[in-house]
Amino acid sequence: MRLVSRRARAQWPLLAALLGVVTIGATVLGTCTLLVTRTAERALEVAVARAAPSAVDVTVYTGTVEGRDTPSVAADTRTVVASTLAPFPVTTTARASTVLRALPPGLATGTTVPAQAYLSGLDDLPARSELVTGRWPQHPGDAVLLESTAQLLGLTPGRRVRLGAELAHAPVPPIDVLVVGVVRPLPARGWDRDPLATAGSAAGYRDGRFMQPVNAYGPFLVDLADLVTTGATVDRMEVTAHPDLSHSNRHDLETVVEAVDGVDRRLAGTLGDRVQLARVASELPATLRSADDQRHVTAAAVLAIAVLGGVLAATALVLAGRLTTGIRADETALRSALGASRRQLAATATVEAGFVAAVAAALAIPASSALHAGLTHLPPLDGAGLTVRPAVVGAQVLAVVGGALVLAAVLIVLAIRPVPAASDQRTRRELLARSGADLMLAVFAAAGWWQLYAQPTDASPRADAVRMLAPALLLTAGAALALRVVLPALRGADRLAYRARGLAFPLAVAEAARRPQAVAAGLLVGLACAAGTFGLAFDDTWHQSQRDQAALAVGTDLALTLSTAPVAGDGAVLSAATAGAVSPALDRGTAVGQWLGSAGDAPRLVAVDTTRADALLRGRLDNDRGWADVGATLAPPTRVNGLAVPAGAPLVLSGTAAGDTPPVVTPRLMLQDATGLRTACTGPAVPLDGREFRLPACATADGLRLVAVALPVTADAGGGPVAVAVTLTVPPAGPAEDPTDGSDWTATSAPPIPSRLRDPTVMVSATPTGTTLRMAATVDLGGVEDAARTLVATAFPDPGPVPVAVSARFASEVGVESGSQLSVTVGITPVPVVVTEVVPAVPSAPGAVAVLADLDTLSRARAVTGDLTFPVDAWWVGHPAGPGAAERATALHLGAVATREAETARLIGGPLLAGLPAALRLIVPAAALLLLAGVVLHVTCDLQARAVEVTRLRGLGMSRRGIRAVLLGQHAGVLLPVLAAGAAVGALATRVVAPLLVRSETGAAPVPATQAHWPWPAEAALLAVLLAGCMLAVAVVVTVQVRRADATHLRVAP
Amino acid sequence: MSSEPMLSVRGVHRRFRTGPTVVHALNGVSFDVAAGSMVALVGRSGSGKTTLLNVIGGLDRPDAGTVHVDGTDVTALDEDGLSRLRREKVSYVFQSFGLIPVLSAAENVAAPLRMARVAPTERERRVELLLELIGLADHARQRPAELSGGQQQRVAIARALAASPQLLLADEPTGQLDAETGLSVMALLRGIVESEGVTVLVSTHDAVMMALADRVIRIHDGHLDEQAAGQPYAPAPDAR
Ligand SMILES: Nc1ncnc2c1ncn2[C@@H]1O[C@H](COP(=O)(O)OP(=O)(O)O)[C@@H](O)[C@H]1O
Ligand SMILES: [Mg+2]
Repeated sequence: MRLVSRRARAQWPLLAALLGVVTIGATVLGTCTLLVTRTAERALEVAVARAAPSAVDVTVYTGTVEGRDTPSVAADTRTVVASTLAPFPVTTTARASTVLRALPPGLATGTTVPAQAYLSGLDDLPARSELVTGRWPQHPGDAVLLESTAQLLGLTPGRRVRLGAELAHAPVPPIDVLVVGVVRPLPARGWDRDPLATAGSAAGYRDGRFMQPVNAYGPFLVDLADLVTTGATVDRMEVTAHPDLSHSNRHDLETVVEAVDGVDRRLAGTLGDRVQLARVASELPATLRSADDQRHVTAAAVLAIAVLGGVLAATALVLAGRLTTGIRADETALRSALGASRRQLAATATVEAGFVAAVAAALAIPASSALHAGLTHLPPLDGAGLTVRPAVVGAQVLAVVGGALVLAAVLIVLAIRPVPAASDQRTRRELLARSGADLMLAVFAAAGWWQLYAQPTDASPRADAVRMLAPALLLTAGAALALRVVLPALRGADRLAYRARGLAFPLAVAEAARRPQAVAAGLLVGLACAAGTFGLAFDDTWHQSQRDQAALAVGTDLALTLSTAPVAGDGAVLSAATAGAVSPALDRGTAVGQWLGSAGDAPRLVAVDTTRADALLRGRLDNDRGWADVGATLAPPTRVNGLAVPAGAPLVLSGTAAGDTPPVVTPRLMLQDATGLRTACTGPAVPLDGREFRLPACATADGLRLVAVALPVTADAGGGPVAVAVTLTVPPAGPAEDPTDGSDWTATSAPPIPSRLRDPTVMVSATPTGTTLRMAATVDLGGVEDAARTLVATAFPDPGPVPVAVSARFASEVGVESGSQLSVTVGITPVPVVVTEVVPAVPSAPGAVAVLADLDTLSRARAVTGDLTFPVDAWWVGHPAGPGAAERATALHLGAVATREAETARLIGGPLLAGLPAALRLIVPAAALLLLAGVVLHVTCDLQARAVEVTRLRGLGMSRRGIRAVLLGQHAGVLLPVLAAGAAVGALATRVVAPLLVRSETGAAPVPATQAHWPWPAEAALLAVLLAGCMLAVAVVVTVQVRRADATHLRVAP
Repeated sequence: MSSEPMLSVRGVHRRFRTGPTVVHALNGVSFDVAAGSMVALVGRSGSGKTTLLNVIGGLDRPDAGTVHVDGTDVTALDEDGLSRLRREKVSYVFQSFGLIPVLSAAENVAAPLRMARVAPTERERRVELLLELIGLADHARQRPAELSGGQQQRVAIARALAASPQLLLADEPTGQLDAETGLSVMALLRGIVESEGVTVLVSTHDAVMMALADRVIRIHDGHLDEQAAGQPYAPAPDAR
């Protein structure tokens, strides 16, 4: 239409502004769409590509395969797994162990039980072990041994061994092997799956198919291909397939997950009764499900931000549209007067809006692609490996075009709605309508908030309408209501200002207060400011919540979960590697009394050295309490001192007893190292006949201290009560040591029948040969032979019930409060505990029914009952130094290392979660940009419409400076309170919705619960930028317009 | 009439350049206006009336020539001097009324007094007086949009008089009013000349206005073509 093009030429700045706003809105929508489509897809690929092998491997366990079937079972298993994981390339590794077979009697002498051995076949032996002597197996029949087995059996390379009949199985021909080498197993290479866990031998081993215990030796390690041809019956075989997921896509992954879910049946069908048992284990489906959950959680938040961006753009457009129709009011009136129908007006508006939408979409598609690609080059997306080149995808085009069309529709509606006349009645009706709209917004916002507030903690991770719309709704309602407060406030200010003497100030205030046209601009400014401040605060709140979740999940700065039992001195090594505060930690399921927890959700027991709780424990505590405060209520009043035992020094034990046949004690000692790790050491059976026995060197490291001794007394023959006295001599540790200092040695008789050992005593004294521990008691030797008669001497008194802190969920589910006494099971021993405090959550057990105790106290409570084993599952390290601490700790091969920092990085910058901070990074500048654009547009139009008025002010004798002051004052008078109100709305929204919007990676409510954070410096900076930007924009526009305000404007009638 | 003229315009030229064309809006205009007189500036549309009034009030600068108001050389004043001149000596009544829309009638009248920083009590008194004078005391709190055109123009005149100027410049004050209303406004102006002793230069093409004037100055394409003071009005061929 000619009118449209002519008008476009005449009013190009206005049209450019409209185009700009629509383009910004559509670009935000397009970019968010790319984040939830392209980036999310890529994130899934990166996440699975980065997943630990254990998270994606598929392992097939088969049990008891007859010798003749082993080659076909091995091959078929591999085929089935590989086809299950198609189209991904697969690398398989397999291992198999035979059932036990008889060892030649000559090899393992001096035992009455039969000696048996097994063969293990591995197809990647050199990757799992290192050669000590000899060579790797090369020919059929070649075998290598672990150092321990070789030593025990006295086998060296070159020896031939015949492995005879299979234990409890059909007769099979013997197998001859040639020992060609000795190897040492490498840590963390799957040796935990060895039947004897690389111990090399096990006395009294029961293999499940034979009633009597045997002495088991092995493995004899051969090549797997060799093993399956020997005809030996395979006890267990496992085939692990590792799919290469570095080039994956959603569709293939879903196919594979389905296949994995059904592989059990296929395998059973394929293997038939060639195997007794076939089982498939894979974390892959769970890994993908959790990845999908994370994707949905992120998408929900990103979409909420996109909606907010859309609402912002629409508000900006309403402003721009109103200004346009205002400027065109005369033209429209003229056209109406000339007989243009409503439909013709609509047609013109549609053509123009369509043009704007088309151009905006054409601009926004490449712009959103470029912006998205740019975002992926910034943290956190670049760190998550999601960097991409700009590209256009279908969903993005759809979102951009759809968004542009919706925004264009806003323009059309504004253009064809009847121009409001200035009559009072109309204004009142309009005001009423606006009140109604505000009220509706408020009601919707409140409903949205309630929906969010009341959503179940385990709500689905999928985006739902409420979570998507709530932030935009709340912010819009807040901004609209805030305007309702700002306008009366301005009117009040106006009344006050008119008391001033000069003109500039009251005129500025009057201009600000009495021009309701500023409402649309005010709404945009308020909403954009609210959105910007909310965006920043939500970002901070989200980050803080992720940090809180990571801290609580790991529970400490660095947690090393032990793969094997720790030995004395490990702590010192770890301490040297990490330069942090090291404590052994207990972190396992427990039973509270008889209660094992609800299904699959056992209560957890966590115990560390709580005297250093502040350094060790992490996770947010509320009410201004720190872990130091909690630790203080749990920690024992004094440290255990004990007797220093020099490294490698032999301890000497002697004892006497009345009677002819001396009873026997099998001493158990408990030693403690500097990090608080306690290790038990069992001596040989010592007859109490006055002779001195040297105990094996229990002190395997420096700085150990003896803290407890248990002496179970047994006798072959029964009898009456007998007085026994046992002396344990510890060699002197050094001149500086005063052995008796500080230790409160206590003797008790251990349960379950303490009465069988009466009057236990213990006395410590220093002698020239060392420190002696004299223990005595009267033992009742009558009754059952292995009934307990254990004298326990400890360097500490009975601690009584162990003080514990319980999680809030524990308190509510078990129904306890501070002061409650109950018992928790450690291993199989129940330990009495007393609840001293309820904490929101126990470190490393977020959201669980959990108990926190002091490990030392817990160990003491067990020791006084004669249980000298030290329950430990992990090392916890507080304040590890330097970034390499985790790598150095991992390199010790003590177990798996998790750090708070890495968990935080994963929760913040993980590929599937990083989309949210990226989107927030987008909305804040977009809000600022739309705000500034709106301000410029509003001020320009306002001044253009009032050019004559400005000149008249000059005619009244007001200087240009004075006029500038009035105009600046007027706009500042509106902008400042609206910006302040917007910030207040942002802050309020942060308080009430931000915590509800943050979900954990599973989509459930995060633990600990999210707390709203208002980052003052960032918010102040944003407000300063917005304010400075607004004022600069206003100042520039005002200055230009005032300079232009010359006599020309007076010539033409307005 | 004193010997010293209130307004003295000498050889004023004002050219406007729009692209290649040059319009001589004022082409050597010279005349004097005696203090306390009411002079009508008559000419058809585009003859240069507005340009001349703007140059006299210092809203526009001439390319050549001088303008003296009460002995002050307006063309030599800087921006601040001009502002002061307009605050203290010269005031405007605009063709399109020119009230500040957000201010009430009383507030509009008070504006020049505020600029002169008159004490509030004195200011209120004077505003009341002026509104009384123009007969709009009952409409003091109404905004311009709530007043009729004639009422607006009267408020504009009251505002122009508020700061007790010596010279009042009115650019077609009745141009947008119907004949009857225009007449009342002109009568008001005439009355003011009598009562307040203000010198008034009013551009118009209204016959009645010309009749009320002490003297009529005709302007035609930037040239003056003066009629004697007090001479009965004879319509010029180009007047509308
Ligand atoms: N700012 C300007 N730019 C260009 N031409 C102008 C400008 N102001 C006035 N003119 C020209 O000067 C002449 C006189 O204009 P004006 O003083 O407004 O006339 P009047 O007020 O008598 O109708 C006209 O031809 C007009 O086009
Ligand atoms: Mg004119």
